Amino acid sequence: MFGYIKIFKSELLVREYEAYKSVYCGLCKAMGKEYSFLSRLTLSYDCTFYAMFLMSLKRSCDGFENGRCRFNPLKKCTYCKCGNDSVSKAAAVSVILSYYKVVDDINDSGFFKRTALKIVKPFFSHWRKKATKRYPKIDKLAEKMLSSQLNAEKSPDCTLDMAADSTAEFLASLLELEGSGDDARIYRQIGYGLGRFIYLADAADDYIKDIKSNSFNPFRQYKDNLKEVMNNNLSSSLAMTFDAYNLLSLVDFKGIIDNVILKGLPTVQSEIIEKFEVEYEKSL
Amino acid sequence: MKNPYEVLGVSPNASESEIKAAYRNLAKKYHPDNYTDSPLADVAEEKMKEINEAYDEIMNAKKNGGSAYSGAGYTNTNTSSHYYNVRMLIQQNRLDEAERILDSETGSDHTAEWYFLRGMCYYRRGWMQQAVQYFQRANQMEPNNMEYRQAIENMTRQQSYGFGGYNTPAGSADGCGACDICAGAMCLNCLCNCCR
Repeated sequence: MFGYIKIFKSELLVREYEAYKSVYCGLCKAMGKEYSFLSRLTLSYDCTFYAMFLMSLKRSCDGFENGRCRFNPLKKCTYCKCGNDSVSKAAAVSVILSYYKVVDDINDSGFFKRTALKIVKPFFSHWRKKATKRYPKIDKLAEKMLSSQLNAEKSPDCTLDMAADSTAEFLASLLELEGSGDDARIYRQIGYGLGRFIYLADAADDYIKDIKSNSFNPFRQYKDNLKEVMNNNLSSSLAMTFDAYNLLSLVDFKGIIDNVILKGLPTVQSEIIEKFEVEYEKSL
Repeated sequence: MKNPYEVLGVSPNASESEIKAAYRNLAKKYHPDNYTDSPLADVAEEKMKEINEAYDEIMNAKKNGGSAYSGAGYTNTNTSSHYYNVRMLIQQNRLDEAERILDSETGSDHTAEWYFLRGMCYYRRGWMQQAVQYFQRANQMEPNNMEYRQAIENMTRQQSYGFGGYNTPAGSADGCGACDICAGAMCLNCLCNCCR
């Protein structure tokens, strides 16, 4: 479920793209420092977006510094400097979510993959413990997400909305932590729409695979107008996020965040729908 | 109170047309129509009030007693309704309580309004798929009710959101449509003229 919150690169300004990359590198660096070299591999665009969004909300980006990439020492890169814990919070979210993803994958994969995952699990649980010490609330939310997801999928009359609720609720509560009063409600709404979008995008993306392997998929109850159901629900989730986002007046990174919400996510949506159409016709 | 120029996002020495344009843009953004049925409707209304006040203040300062802009009075509460209390709860975003009252009415002969309000609870939670089904049911039972029809229209608008190229095919930005060819030819023409 990672990697759906992307930028639409060709419409970013060059300086915006560089700023985005510097957040990515800054987050990578923070993970190396706070967890371990290997934890950097869990880095994702979603957590980059989360870090950038937090820095924009709190206005905590203190400029940029030059350095070298750890994975490729020949490459020079820019790191963003963060004045508060926005970046380390994003690093914590990244390792915590990766841990739960490993746990979830162990539950539903074949023998070989399961054994491999069991071998790496101790690393993830070590990082998660470290992250939980600093951000116990985030770990609680993630744990709740996983258990409510399993419950929802087990229930025989699980609707599409119910299935998407766990992920949506997780992001909603995660962003809600950042503010109070009306601000918290706006953040919550942004998070809910975004989480719902991510979950449904992932479900639409995996639809053919899930049907073949007879696994749970929230769209399986719809037969004839499947594509419309997917598209309408994805659009209305984004509309929810966009309406709430419009009530914020951000300054830092605004161009990039606008780009993600207005261009990046819709592009992901249409790519998924198109891919689905092609594969669906093949499978008939 | 906040600095009215900051609220509108203009500099204190902006011209009147700049201020008007900024105000119009913001008013379009926060317009109650964009937030019909949304749980954030009150926040949007608050923002609308803020920019109205800021605009009035700036204009008054400029003109010394200019026209007062009437704010967005926007309520659609149906006070004579059987479910008045449920409607109030929904408007205050107390969805759990509203749902409890609605769900306590057992039996299968629910009224159209019941379906509408149940759908509204789902809608406010972000459960759009279910909301649509309930709204449609309400609309089927009472096709002439404007309120139900509006709720469906609002959902349809969201499902085909027109901003930023929703529902456009992937990669359209770098594709080469008929317009691009025309624009390309026009640019080429300009360049050729320049060279001559």
